[in-house]
Amino acid sequence: MSAPAAPEGLAARAHPFTPLVVSLAVVALAFLLPAPAGPLLLAALLIIIAILGGDPRALIPAAWLAVPFWVLLFILHALLGDGPMRTLGPLTLSVHGSALALTQSGRFTAIIVASVLVIRGFRPGRFVDAALEAGWPWTSAYITAATLNAIPRFQERAVRVQEAMRSRGLRVRGTLITRAKAFVPLALPLMLGALHEVDERTFALATRQVRAEGVSRTPLRPPADTALDLTVRWGAVLAVLGAIAWRFVA
Amino acid sequence: MELPPPFMNPRLLALIPTCVALNVVLGRIVSELALPVFLDTVGTVTATALAGPAAGIITGLTSQGLTALTSGQMMWLAFAPIQVLIALVASSAARRGGFATAASALLWGALCGLLGGLVSSVISYSFFGGVTSTGVTALNALLRYLDFGLATAVTISSVAADVLDKALTFAFAGAVLRALPTRLASRFPLAMRSAGRE
Repeated sequence: MSAPAAPEGLAARAHPFTPLVVSLAVVALAFLLPAPAGPLLLAALLIIIAILGGDPRALIPAAWLAVPFWVLLFILHALLGDGPMRTLGPLTLSVHGSALALTQSGRFTAIIVASVLVIRGFRPGRFVDAALEAGWPWTSAYITAATLNAIPRFQERAVRVQEAMRSRGLRVRGTLITRAKAFVPLALPLMLGALHEVDERTFALATRQVRAEGVSRTPLRPPADTALDLTVRWGAVLAVLGAIAWRFVA
Repeated sequence: MELPPPFMNPRLLALIPTCVALNVVLGRIVSELALPVFLDTVGTVTATALAGPAAGIITGLTSQGLTALTSGQMMWLAFAPIQVLIALVASSAARRGGFATAASALLWGALCGLLGGLVSSVISYSFFGGVTSTGVTALNALLRYLDFGLATAVTISSVAADVLDKALTFAFAGAVLRALPTRLASRFPLAMRSAGRE
């Protein structure tokens, strides 16, 4: 999934750390909550949040990502599962496998909806400013920002290499052997060019004194970290801790 | 005033984001070519072979985090330990000149795939009920259809997919290392030894 066209919904308006913390909490809760009801209710809650939070269109890419998992889980566990079987119309399904497929589908759906909501509202610049404001090491912020900037640049370069190679007769469609043979001519120039670029960037960073003492980086426009953001983040952490405690008690 | 860690010099600061981006972009090229492998750790292996395990581990973990985030599938964060394993095996290969020939790179890659496949099968079985990428899961389903138990099917499909993928990944990274001009390779601490050029 590529970067979204325009910031939408709660995730785009919140402090950049808030959606990330909430989505990590969703990952944990999807596995901690009692199955199958817990993950399914979590998925339903996130779908409602997407609709009421102003980004219902996030559910379209989320569905594209989630549906293949439902199908694969259904085949692997319900159709090909072991144990007692139950006939449902023309299908004979494993009872235990069907419950497992339902649980895993709920988990994947909850995580995918949360992830899609986060990425649609994620802006690298805001994140780096927030990280610097929070006192993260400059190197971490730089690596994150430089990587997010490098991916589309290399993507464009890959397209240019592909066009150049195709114009010289390289075939990128056809049998598996034909497609496999196309990989090296496409990837090798990209890799070698990228490693040459590392050399240039090293000099650029060295001349900017990235290791110089007494140099601090100031975020230009740090996003506001409101009381609501803090409450939501702590609420997510407490929900996970509560679920862990419940697992130990139950 | 915060200073970068001692190992984090300007060359590493330039290398790591480049290798993370290469992981992502090469993965997409492979996906566009519809090949039955991933090759999305070439950057991790190359960073390790050029600059050591710390560079590889940071590259791998950053790649895993960003891929999970940007693909909208944060559950793949569970496979982060595999990135550390790949960097450690690539580091062992680099110190022993394991990228000097295509054959030795393939063997080191196969070893990495065997270890990585075993670890990933445990993660896949425990957290995801055996469902991961479409190709591996299809192989899984085929093995289940042939009456293999779920754990056995997940292990066989994960190991088979990873051995093939990592063998090709190491072979390609080795080809890149051997094709690097000496002037450029000599600027990285491990590059010459990795490619058997010293």
